[in-house]
Amino acid sequence: MNDFIIEGHGLKRYYQRGNETVKALDGVDVSIRKGEIVSILGPSGSGKTTLINLLSGLDAPTEGTLVIDGKSAAGLSEDELVEVRRGVLGFVFQNFSLLPTLTVTENIELPLLFLGLQADPERTRRVIDAVGLTDRANHLPRELSGGQMQRVAIARALIIEPKILVADEPTGNLDRATGESIIALFKKLAKEDGLAILLTTHNTVFGSQADRAITLEDGRIVALNGPPNKLPLH
Amino acid sequence: MNQAMKTDPFILRRYFALAIKNLRRRLVRTSLTIAGVALAVTVAVSLGGFMLGYRGAIDRSINMLGFQVMIMAKGCPYEAATMMLKGGTGLLYLPSDTYDKVKSDPEIESITPIFVGVAQKQGSGIRDDAGATNFSVISGIEVLSYKVMKPWIALKSGPGYDGGRWFEADSKTDVVLGFEAAEYEQRKVGDSFYASIAPAGKPEPVMHEFKVVGVLERTGTQDDGTVFMPIDVAREYFGRPAQLTILGIKLKQFNAVKMREFETRWLKLPEVQVVGLQQVKNTLVSLVATAQTMIAAVAVIAIIVALIGVINTILMSVYERTAEIGIMKALGARRGSIFQLIWLETVIICLIGALTGSILAVVGSSLVERAIRSIADFGVSGSIVSITPQVIMYAVSGAVALGFFGGLYPAWRASSMRPVGAISKGV
Ligand SMILES: Nc1ncnc2c1ncn2[C@@H]1O[C@H](COP(=O)(O)OP(=O)(O)OP(=O)(O)O)[C@@H](O)[C@H]1O
Ligand SMILES: [Mg+2]
Repeated sequence: MNDFIIEGHGLKRYYQRGNETVKALDGVDVSIRKGEIVSILGPSGSGKTTLINLLSGLDAPTEGTLVIDGKSAAGLSEDELVEVRRGVLGFVFQNFSLLPTLTVTENIELPLLFLGLQADPERTRRVIDAVGLTDRANHLPRELSGGQMQRVAIARALIIEPKILVADEPTGNLDRATGESIIALFKKLAKEDGLAILLTTHNTVFGSQADRAITLEDGRIVALNGPPNKLPLH
Repeated sequence: MNQAMKTDPFILRRYFALAIKNLRRRLVRTSLTIAGVALAVTVAVSLGGFMLGYRGAIDRSINMLGFQVMIMAKGCPYEAATMMLKGGTGLLYLPSDTYDKVKSDPEIESITPIFVGVAQKQGSGIRDDAGATNFSVISGIEVLSYKVMKPWIALKSGPGYDGGRWFEADSKTDVVLGFEAAEYEQRKVGDSFYASIAPAGKPEPVMHEFKVVGVLERTGTQDDGTVFMPIDVAREYFGRPAQLTILGIKLKQFNAVKMREFETRWLKLPEVQVVGLQQVKNTLVSLVATAQTMIAAVAVIAIIVALIGVINTILMSVYERTAEIGIMKALGARRGSIFQLIWLETVIICLIGALTGSILAVVGSSLVERAIRSIADFGVSGSIVSITPQVIMYAVSGAVALGFFGGLYPAWRASSMRPVGAISKGV
């Protein structure tokens, strides 16, 4: 038994735009272990978002094999994919994506509603503390700064105790210092909770702080770096 | 996922809270949509109450007549219908020997002759503006058979009314007043009552002084406003010694067949029409049927418009929340969760609208009643708009059912949104 939480091989994702086929991803192999931080780098339009959507079960590959937490995710319908990612993956998006009418606490507890789980105030407080928002628990999103909103989004992803945190450009809308603090938080979570973290970024400095960095160009991997013993070579 | 986390038994309540929060986001839009539903429900409930109440009022009025069939002079059936219930004007008369002829019919259980005339009230005629209040409807009756026909009629007792009695058949001075007639004239037992009556064919009215020998309890019928005197005396004063207005008849068996048989037996008499109460009822109902159809059409249009409004509002809010819905899906919401949420929002709008509309209808029912009566007085006593809990229940469950179906499409649209497409559109 291997300790990969996500394993993708020969992943392709083609979009049909009129008569033209856009090869957003054209044969990519990526595997992610428990507790490691993997960053996906690459220029705009290189396929980062497409790849992260596939790896997190938000979208299905056109071709290739994909296993998320032991379940095959290739060729599944939208409804089947929900079942694969429910309770396993936590998401953080570039635009924070908080519900404006809900308070910080309510936003954080929202995933529990969809999983049919009871909110535990004690747990919620621990998660809020972990992202450093103790004194903002009852604020509305519009009363928060961008960095604080992103922390709420991270707390919301953590509340379900996922095995992997997926973040598409989590620092994209943040200034440098705030972005660094978010990356630091990720590192802490990976180290202390053994959480696997998969993120995309334009920022090569953040990218290099990850255990591994995958660089994409035109839907293909052009560079892999990180400790050689961790490289998923096949 | 932590195994220690418990499933939530009150999950629906949390969906409900979330739906309410979503609706409050666009308060003006939501309120307008609710107002549309409320308006439609108000119209529907008022109409339902009117239909129900009006039929009830007709039934009550007709049952309180005491007889099921009447024989009267040929004339317009509408007039006959309203005259019967209101004791109205435009009176036509029958020869009084009709009574003797019809009386012998073997199918008759009881029969009573009534002579109706209109007298001018004394003391109120000159000062007041012209109007119904200047006149008294006088019924000449045969006390014995009249009481058989209307066993509930009772003489009032208490201070000022004690010693009340019916008049003798040949008393030229005694009258009995209906409840309202006595109240309006402020007469009690023993008081005088003046009326000037123009005998048929003579131009000059003759003043008569009567003595009030009894006052009736309230019946809720036109009897309340009537002045009763012996039928022969009324005939004499009105100068129609051998005529009568109505023969009220109770048949031993009352059904369509017996009614038709009875009708054919007596239609052979000239100048006579036989009117069954069913007929009267139908006539009265058809009087307002057109109006009701029109209101019903308005109600249906209002409901359709309201429903379109609701669907439109919910669809708009679904599209506005495309990104949010995508995020909820990414957070683990199944298709069913999103469906449930959006569908709940629709049903909530319809439910609040229906409750508001019902309250408006109840509060406004007296206004509606007054409006209807001012357009047309149907000659029925009692409330003609009766909004029962049942009417409200029907309207509310109807509105919720519409929300139930109206919400299906927006909810389906929302639940079919894909997480990726939805998120990439941004917030
Ligand atoms: N829904 C779609 N339909 C058609 N083409 C698409 C769709 N989504 C992405 N693409 C195309 O696929 C390619 C990869 O897009 P993707 O969003 O993955 O890039 P990215 O690396 O995330 O870029 P950025 O850094 O700007 O976010 C692009 O050429 C894009 O135009
Ligand atoms: Mg992207």
